[in-house]
Amino acid sequence: MVSASDGAGPAMLARKPAGRARRRWRGRLGVFAAQLALLALLLAAWEAATRGAAVNAFLFGSPGAIASALIAAARDGTLFTDTLVTGLETLAGFVLGNLLGTGIGLALWYSRFVSRVLQPFILALGSIPIVALAPIVIIWFGTGFASKLAMATLSVVVVSLVIAYKGALGVDPDQINLMRSLGADKHQIFRHLVLPASLTDIFAGLKLTVGFALVGAIIGEFMSSDEGLGHAIFKAGSLYVISKVFAELAVTVALALVLSALVHRLERALLPWRHDLQ
Amino acid sequence: MSFARTIAGGGRAAGEIFAATDLGKSFGEDDAAPVEVIRSVSFALARGEIVSLVGPSGCGKTTLLNLICGLLAPSRGRIAWFGRPLAGTPERVGYMLQKDLLLPWRTAVENAELGLQIKRVGRAERRARAMGALERLGLAGFAGFYPSALSGGMRQRVALARTLAPDPEVLLLDEPFSALDFQTKLLIERDTARLVREEQRALLLITHDIEEAVSLSDRVIVLSRRPSRVITEHRIALPGDRTDMIQAREAPDFAHYVRTIWNELELH
Repeated sequence: MVSASDGAGPAMLARKPAGRARRRWRGRLGVFAAQLALLALLLAAWEAATRGAAVNAFLFGSPGAIASALIAAARDGTLFTDTLVTGLETLAGFVLGNLLGTGIGLALWYSRFVSRVLQPFILALGSIPIVALAPIVIIWFGTGFASKLAMATLSVVVVSLVIAYKGALGVDPDQINLMRSLGADKHQIFRHLVLPASLTDIFAGLKLTVGFALVGAIIGEFMSSDEGLGHAIFKAGSLYVISKVFAELAVTVALALVLSALVHRLERALLPWRHDLQ
Repeated sequence: MSFARTIAGGGRAAGEIFAATDLGKSFGEDDAAPVEVIRSVSFALARGEIVSLVGPSGCGKTTLLNLICGLLAPSRGRIAWFGRPLAGTPERVGYMLQKDLLLPWRTAVENAELGLQIKRVGRAERRARAMGALERLGLAGFAGFYPSALSGGMRQRVALARTLAPDPEVLLLDEPFSALDFQTKLLIERDTARLVREEQRALLLITHDIEEAVSLSDRVIVLSRRPSRVITEHRIALPGDRTDMIQAREAPDFAHYVRTIWNELELH
């Protein structure tokens, strides 16, 4: 990527790679600084508004109180354990849901008949709001880890299934004909063509469903739990400790960002041919 | 490259590789109004021969190719490969389309070895044969590149290497060069003609490019509009080296063949 202004002469040419890297780095730094400034400005306005009593600190919290709530939660260890619990529930549900969903979705490619039979059932399952299942899930799986895992898994599985199935169906028929002309059987077509071709879609699904898994886990914790970020948010909310709610929310957002970043890393590592990702 | 040819199934015409007799195809035959794409097509292909099928666009050329290589079942007529009726997809036949159909997650050499991998050739041998095919097409330095890093002409050469690596006796090419620039096209046509003529393979080329058909082929078969049938068959007799695409174009009869075929396509 060389812009017109780069081609100014031999001296410029020699320096170009280092200059380009430096300029890109400087560009990123600039964006990051602007983002930090914006965040600081918002927090400062919020803090000033609550101090000046223009906004009710009891109802809306304040950055200072949120910070103290974070420090308190970090000191007594609940910040760490809650994050760990919710993180594990989310991760386990994410992995299980995607394994099941992707597995079934790709398996449906094998049999057009089975997929046509199952289609209305999958659609029905997909249109159930997962929140509505929470009471039954608590009854079936109890109030511990298993029910949160089930909620996270359920939030993921249908989306993942549909994405994998659509990905497998989207493979170019000419490409399938080429494989057949080379003598490939159905299993070989699946292994060498359909599976890798679906990976792009499957990874798009992973990025989407990591958020869904977190939502599922938190809903499960809202229903019934004694630890986790959802538990902490729910409890603080019912006690009107708004700053504590915001503190736990901030941690939840951070957890979501970390999980998405992990999926992105995984995609880059597993799809080396996608130059747009590198 | 091995020249050993196993001669099996006696009683066939000498050197005859492929024969289609009264081939026809309609789609939706169970419906009230089936669509007839191919009415009646007969032709043969011999060892060392290059035959082109030309026709107006939408004349069912690709359907014909899919019939020939067993990807579609004909509604009528017979197909014989090496003197035997076609069952499944024929052995030792390489197939290539206008789209390079390279797998983006495989490097050039991994793409070239796809056919060998499907035939369960061992890792070392298939790598060596794929490298050989790439080298022959001037791509040895690009073996480790992903298709996204290659130019259109290079990608099409990788596709040709993939077609050649399993050492097919017959090449079935469906407009393989039409997306290339003129110079690249002539170079790859030359390479292909050498492969066929020097090693006694056979090539069936489907194209709408009349000049390409005349410069490359021994025979040009002209197809009509849908439902297609054979209008004429031209035996192309051009002097000199038939792997030189420029020389072919300079031959006095070249323009005559092109004009005649062009007129036939206009009329039908």
